[in-house]
Amino acid sequence: MLNFQELILELQRFWSRQGCLLIQPYDMEKGAGTFNPATFFGALGPKPTAVAYVEPCRRPADGRYGNNPNRLGKYFQFQVLIKPAPADITGLYVRSLKALGLDHHKHDLRWIEDDWESPTLGASGVGWEVWLDGMEITQFTYFQQMGSLPLFPVSVEITYGLERIAMYLQKKDDVYQLAYNDSVSYGDLYKEQERQFSAYHFEVADAAMLARHFDEYESEGERLAGLKLTLPAYDCVVRVSHLFNVLEARGAISVTERAQYIGRVRGLAKKVMNLYLELGAPAVHQMEPQHV
Amino acid sequence: MSKDLLLEIFVEPLPARFLAPTLEQLLEKTQAALRDSRLGFTSAASFGTQRRLAVFVRGVEEKSSVLSRDVQGPPARLLKGEDGAFTPQAEGFARKHGLEPAALETVATPKGEFLLARVVAPGESALKLLARILPETIKSLEFPKSLEWEASRLRFGRPIRGLTAILGRSVIPFELAGVRSGRILRGLAGPGGKPASLPESIEYRETLRDLLVVVDPEERRRTLLKRLEAAAVQGGGKLDFEGGLLEETVAMTEHPVPVTGRFREEYLRIPVPLLKMVLKKQLKFFPLLGGKGLVAAFVGVRDGGSEGQTQVREGYERVLTARLSDAAFFLGRDEKTSLEFKLSMLARVTYQGKLGSMAEKSQRVQALAQWMCAQLRRRDFPLNEDAAAAIARLGYADLVCETVKEFPELQGAMGGYYARHDGLDERVALGVEEFYYPVAAKSALPVTAEGAVASLAGKIDSLAGSLAVGVAPTGSADPFALRRQATGALRILLEKQLPLDLEAALVEALRLLEGRVALSAADGQRVAGELRDFIWARAQSLFDEQGYLVDEIRSVREGGLRDLPDTLRRLIAVHAVRRHADFEPLAAVFKRAANILKQAAQKGEVVPEGGPERAALREPAELALLEALDLLSAQMTEHLAAGSYDACLRAVVALKPKLDEFFAQVMVMAEDRALRAQRLALLARLVRLIKRAADLSEIQGPEKAEARLAAAR
Repeated sequence: MLNFQELILELQRFWSRQGCLLIQPYDMEKGAGTFNPATFFGALGPKPTAVAYVEPCRRPADGRYGNNPNRLGKYFQFQVLIKPAPADITGLYVRSLKALGLDHHKHDLRWIEDDWESPTLGASGVGWEVWLDGMEITQFTYFQQMGSLPLFPVSVEITYGLERIAMYLQKKDDVYQLAYNDSVSYGDLYKEQERQFSAYHFEVADAAMLARHFDEYESEGERLAGLKLTLPAYDCVVRVSHLFNVLEARGAISVTERAQYIGRVRGLAKKVMNLYLELGAPAVHQMEPQHV
Repeated sequence: MSKDLLLEIFVEPLPARFLAPTLEQLLEKTQAALRDSRLGFTSAASFGTQRRLAVFVRGVEEKSSVLSRDVQGPPARLLKGEDGAFTPQAEGFARKHGLEPAALETVATPKGEFLLARVVAPGESALKLLARILPETIKSLEFPKSLEWEASRLRFGRPIRGLTAILGRSVIPFELAGVRSGRILRGLAGPGGKPASLPESIEYRETLRDLLVVVDPEERRRTLLKRLEAAAVQGGGKLDFEGGLLEETVAMTEHPVPVTGRFREEYLRIPVPLLKMVLKKQLKFFPLLGGKGLVAAFVGVRDGGSEGQTQVREGYERVLTARLSDAAFFLGRDEKTSLEFKLSMLARVTYQGKLGSMAEKSQRVQALAQWMCAQLRRRDFPLNEDAAAAIARLGYADLVCETVKEFPELQGAMGGYYARHDGLDERVALGVEEFYYPVAAKSALPVTAEGAVASLAGKIDSLAGSLAVGVAPTGSADPFALRRQATGALRILLEKQLPLDLEAALVEALRLLEGRVALSAADGQRVAGELRDFIWARAQSLFDEQGYLVDEIRSVREGGLRDLPDTLRRLIAVHAVRRHADFEPLAAVFKRAANILKQAAQKGEVVPEGGPERAALREPAELALLEALDLLSAQMTEHLAAGSYDACLRAVVALKPKLDEFFAQVMVMAEDRALRAQRLALLARLVRLIKRAADLSEIQGPEKAEARLAAAR
């Protein structure tokens, strides 16, 4: 039975063997692994790419003060992005589960239609959530659009929910009971973090300051885009997106404002994306796959 | 010798909702392609699962048939020029049909002699032909949503990963979306084992069976049903099939195997609609019905295999427990506050940009419901007005509940549950529960009159608000489901027999909206008119579905919304009396009278109000008609008071001989102006009188009515 860190190691080993570049998490708060520049920029343009990485994700509104055994305000995704999508990608995915000890023969593996959409990135894709014995463990997506432009060649994104898979493997009903390694539990590491951040996001965060920061980073992003500094400008996209998430968890955004905020994040993201396509891909984000 | 054709498109898992329509298309388009290519066959059928779309065609001919046809060209004199050479016209015509000019013939017609090309399309071998038409057929399949995934940029419902195409024993060679056709068949993912080679098309279904795939959806459905029933017995309850989960499961699997599991009894405290939603929608499990509510067990369906059954069951149970504990948590949070408190939170929920918050809507709907109650009171319609107002007020309160945010389909159902939890009167609780009824075309209406009035008020406010801010549905786009709401409102009025003036209710609804949408008097009238037309269009299709003819519906259009149950009674009467031999001729005479009046009005003729003066009339036929009208008037008043339109229309039909006599003997447009005016007044009275029952000028003669009916269908 794999503990949490072995689970990550196995996935890294598997996808590394498939030719993916193992990169590290991007050092900013974000709601999903898709926001990592390796995916956002990797999916754009014609050059092939193949990367895999662990990404910590923050969903402030999902925090439950460490009291709910199934919900977390911060958790980990394991993300794979490959462009163009290999023909045997679903088969590869099934083999990756086998590498974790989840043999397709002994489990019910279901592919449930679930098209993905990110309103803040103006992105959408077609795909599934994958259910293992009824539990959703993976989001599997063929990207189709970003910033409302069609993407070609098409990338495939596989997002594993690490805690969910670990709970299944370890037969635990409580995420905090997971063995992170053989002596430290997930709760030892993160329960207090969940408690404090829930309090921060729901009760304490200074909404006026966050709203101000949103405005400021939005203008900064516009300014940087004007200077053709694509990558720092993209950081501003990631930042305003997270600020929006915190403001929303804090209950500081009305329904009408919500749509406006989303529109503003999307507007900036689109600007950065167009700039990136116009300038040509900076080498750092185009990773040649080895043998996928 | 004819052979059997098998085409299988192997895809990544196809959404359940795509399967049946795609299989239908595949069958139709394959047959059409074969016919268009003149390739004969005996019969065809399509099969499929989540992973494959297949079509099997029996008895495909070896070659397509030879096609010869004669094409007439330019006049024969244009064959050769004066120099004896073929003209450019003749050469062009020949080339167009693949012939040498020398092969052209001539044909004599009544219009002269013309050039004739005898075009012969030769037969082509089936294998070659199929290699060309199969990929085209695949490309022509349409999906509700499609994607691109590879270099050729083909769009399909899900990526194509295999193509098996066999005619008899031969592979039909083609390539599509980077996939080359062959004879390999893949089995059920996981337990199905290694792919197999299909030696001959006829062995398709058997080969797949060995690979643990039941490819025929019908067979899969039957097998699943039988196994589900056994599983239900094991779980100790009866299967709940409501909501299409069975069909969805058939489409989502290749080899369905039920697994019975249980959950803790304490979760049975969760209200049944919520419990069912968690099971069916979140996990696609079949709930099991007990004597009262559900039993603490379920049936999940696994795709294939019996290995690891315990593990799968434990997995199902663990996921279900997590979901149920979430649902219980949300329920607990909702139960901490009263429905009244939830109502106060509606100010934070937007209804529609220009129409303000749900709190405002809720207030409008309550006011409209109270207005309706007052109207109904005047018509002596028994109603608990306080209850109706309370339902209208609380109808939207559950929108702020956690459970409804999680499952929007539970709006209403949860409101009813929380109303009971708050100890509210059962009449109110039931009304809140049924506030959104009817949820589908044929589904149930609110049970109580109070619930019906509140529900009606909610719908009328939505319709009035949407049209006032200009968001009427266009074509197939109806984002606020206004058509459904209008039909719902009409069904409530008709089936609950509410004698309510809908036209006045629309005006009242617009008045209540004034705080939000201030319309000028002219705009107000325009919107009211649009609302009446929009709702009447729904009424028309509702009546049409019930078998009334278009002209019959038109004859009750005027004022038709003022009392819908009454309108329906008139319609029934028109429809019934129509069978009377004199009815349609009478309608024609009536139309004549109405036309004479219309033309007279155009000429500026003055028609005295209140009917003719007896002393001014001369002819026996007109005096007889006046007498008949006096009698008819008395009869109609009596019949209408009794609501007996049938008798009323029969009395009208009895007028026919007198009317015929009148038109035969009397010249309406007499020279004498005073006399003319009196005769016109007589006709005006006739028209007024008959219109009290129906506008017979809308009724078409027998031929026209049938033609219209045929056109409508």
